[in-house]
Amino acid sequence: MTEPSASGLFDRAKFASNARLTAGTTEEYLRMLERMRELEKRGELCLHHVKDTYQPTTVRTLSRREKRIPTVDLWQHKSCGQCGHIPGYVTALYWIMAELGVPFVDDTNQTSCTAWNYYGSGTSNPVALSAVFVRNMHVAWQKDAYPLIHCGTSYGDYKEVRYLLVMNDELRERVRTILQKIGRDIVIPEELVHYSEWLHVIRDRLAERRKLDLSKIKVVVHSACHCYKMMSEDFTYDDAILDGLRPAPITSVALALGAQIADYSNWYDCCGFGFRHILTEREMSRSFAYFRKIQPIVRETQADVLLTHDTGCVTTLDKSQVVPLAHGYKETVPVLSDAQFAALAMGAHPFIVCQVHWHVADWRPLLQKMGIDAEKAWNEYREYVENVKRGMKPNFIRSPPRTHA
Amino acid sequence: MADAKQKPEEKGRFIVERQYVDDRRINEPKKLDAGGMDVSGRWGLLIEPRTITSFDHTLMRDVQREAGGKFIHRCFQCGNCTAACPTAEEHPEFNPRYFIHVVRMGYQAELERVRQYVYLCASCGRCTETCPREVDPAGVMAAIGTAVRKAR
Amino acid sequence: MSDSGRVLVIGGGPAGLRAAADLAALGIPVVLVERRGELGGAPIRWKYKTLAPELRPTEEVMGPMISEVESHPLVKVHRNSVVERVSGPAGNFRIALGESGGGAQELGVGAIITATGFEHFDASRDPRYEYGRAANVIGIHELEGMLKDGRVVCKDGRKPERIAFVFCVGSRDRATNPWCCTVCCGVSIKQGIELKQLLKDVEIYNIYIDVRTFGLWEQLYWSSMEEHGINFIRGRVSQIYDTGKQLLVKGEDTLVRGPFEVLMDMVVLAVGITPGEGTAQAAKALDLTCNTFGFLQPRHPNVHYDSGKAGIFLAGACVAPMSVEEAILAGSAAAMQAAKFVRKPALQAAAG
Repeated sequence: MTEPSASGLFDRAKFASNARLTAGTTEEYLRMLERMRELEKRGELCLHHVKDTYQPTTVRTLSRREKRIPTVDLWQHKSCGQCGHIPGYVTALYWIMAELGVPFVDDTNQTSCTAWNYYGSGTSNPVALSAVFVRNMHVAWQKDAYPLIHCGTSYGDYKEVRYLLVMNDELRERVRTILQKIGRDIVIPEELVHYSEWLHVIRDRLAERRKLDLSKIKVVVHSACHCYKMMSEDFTYDDAILDGLRPAPITSVALALGAQIADYSNWYDCCGFGFRHILTEREMSRSFAYFRKIQPIVRETQADVLLTHDTGCVTTLDKSQVVPLAHGYKETVPVLSDAQFAALAMGAHPFIVCQVHWHVADWRPLLQKMGIDAEKAWNEYREYVENVKRGMKPNFIRSPPRTHA
Repeated sequence: MADAKQKPEEKGRFIVERQYVDDRRINEPKKLDAGGMDVSGRWGLLIEPRTITSFDHTLMRDVQREAGGKFIHRCFQCGNCTAACPTAEEHPEFNPRYFIHVVRMGYQAELERVRQYVYLCASCGRCTETCPREVDPAGVMAAIGTAVRKAR
Repeated sequence: MSDSGRVLVIGGGPAGLRAAADLAALGIPVVLVERRGELGGAPIRWKYKTLAPELRPTEEVMGPMISEVESHPLVKVHRNSVVERVSGPAGNFRIALGESGGGAQELGVGAIITATGFEHFDASRDPRYEYGRAANVIGIHELEGMLKDGRVVCKDGRKPERIAFVFCVGSRDRATNPWCCTVCCGVSIKQGIELKQLLKDVEIYNIYIDVRTFGLWEQLYWSSMEEHGINFIRGRVSQIYDTGKQLLVKGEDTLVRGPFEVLMDMVVLAVGITPGEGTAQAAKALDLTCNTFGFLQPRHPNVHYDSGKAGIFLAGACVAPMSVEEAILAGSAAAMQAAKFVRKPALQAAAG
């Protein structure tokens, strides 16, 4: 473990370890992890370990706990919002894995985590949420592939329900009953891994394959609340990135790819998606996203792109720009996921793979600045689509052969 | 507490937490087009931020110069004045302690909202009797009214 | 005189100095052990310019005490030293001293007074204030030295025009320290007044939860507003952002129930009193109980000097947060108890 950076007196671990607040903070979380292992010893649950066969790398969390991040044989836990609204997000991630020769399992047998339903309408309940979680984890465990969670909301939800499952015996037994009805049992992953943490640990391999010059691209980063504020102990920090004070993913990837990072005053603010806000308080979400995030970002940094790592954040930050621009406000910045940005940098097709045309805020200046001939690419895309219409099989991104099954 | 007659086309009526949002922050366009898409009405509604971005003591100094306002800066917001005030008992928007704070810090938007209520002061003087810091809130109410009127 | 007639005072701050001076005045030999290189404790270490509530110069109080102790033939001062081990029964303690230079000494005493004082909360442990990262975010202890030097400027040499004080940093907070430091409100207000006197047109904003100017210190609060025009905002700060030129202070004004995000030139954090290394170390060496907060725990919460162990007495901020005047009183009270203890055999003999 590295020592805190010499420049800072800051030792977040001391603050975190002194935080004696209720559930979700560091001490509680570490207690949960201990109990999780106890339960495994007693045979009350099965832990899906981050085995050496997954070729893990170690990172550190908020409290300087060591967290193992698997790098191969990943079970793609997809995001309903991405597949539905930001398809380029998930295809960019798959494309990167195929490029790097990283084997993965793209399972058709995955359900939505239902977290949006839970947060948005409150119509789910802890038992249902936990059962869905464990069911997915069981499938991954059976396939001997480690779950990689694509969505920040899923990740946040899974952190919550894992905590509940471990700490609450009654809940666990009720979930077990449900799972046994479908021939499964309780499997809990040893670590909950968000895909942006994976991108963070393999960023040097992304940089090796970089095709574009990003030295003039100014990036601003927004980290998702579900990733680093909820159950704050769990996410990846790195003393070499932002002095270890803010989450390392996204920023580390942008830096590795040679881009510049710009800071802004409201970095800590939610994007506006909130929990149920995007559904029930849309006016507030839209206004908040614009006035508290987009406007200050543009005014303070004139950034070329805003990168984030969650389905909800991409959606909110991107789509919320429509109405204010119609009102006559001028500030706008394109919004992409770190996966799409990295894929573009590695030469992925902006429309066939990264599908940036689904994004609303104007991305044309960004592509131009990245040295991509958007018009040419667009024509290639149109041709591709026409060919598919005429019966050509679309290119599927397939997993490289698994090292072991 | 019901406000004036509610108009059927009251803006922002679809906002779920509508009662917490100040009318003047709601920008609901009658007609708005976003690149060919009709976002009139609720679809184009923006709620403007309410963040206070500066502390400005100009108005406080104006009030200090008016008769009765000299000691406005003594106030430490204990609330004795509002507790004793007969107008405050009936009218939730009349709050001498609050007015003094808003004027001292120069919160323009909030002042705009409450300035009409300042004139409801009955000048009974109960606040001045009870004030532990001898601010003379009754005097300050009059001074605020004058200073605000002059500034317009 | 035998060792058992001598008293060990651990700590050379206001409490320890008063205790040592009083004991010596009674003819009782004293060994005063101070871990730092100079006597005076916090007021000297942090260069307190004046003391609340009447802004009297610190020297008026500390000067006489320090010279009394340094010049008295019955007081032996060990600087840069700590008490490493204590053994033996009350009345005949064996003390092992360690010096920072590497030296060691053994001596015997009859009674011990622990007056190990406090440390200011290290605000870098509370990330929202960016202490240690943002230029111009300082603690009240650091400001005191600047006031003493008569020079308060931003890092880039600019004269600050707007300064915010944030009360309760590292206090009244389960995440850091769940107690009130009793003096920070008064000290912050005092410093605000001194800043107004030093920098004529500066605007001062005290952002508080409560203003706890106890007893006669209340007048300091009143005069800060009435004579010096200092502003008070009831609320909390959630984040400080360094724009590079100024500090963007984000928080909420409770009375308006409204968020603010305002630019300041400097932010002073009222970093509270916490038990320090010296107290922890003394507790270990003397096998004293500390309460859950890390302060030394007296036998009875309302009788500070009684440690519950025969011959060992407690004084000052190592027991609970307190002001300089209270620490001085505590030192004197502990001295009386220690004197009674070491003179007990003689008193009994005289009576008998």
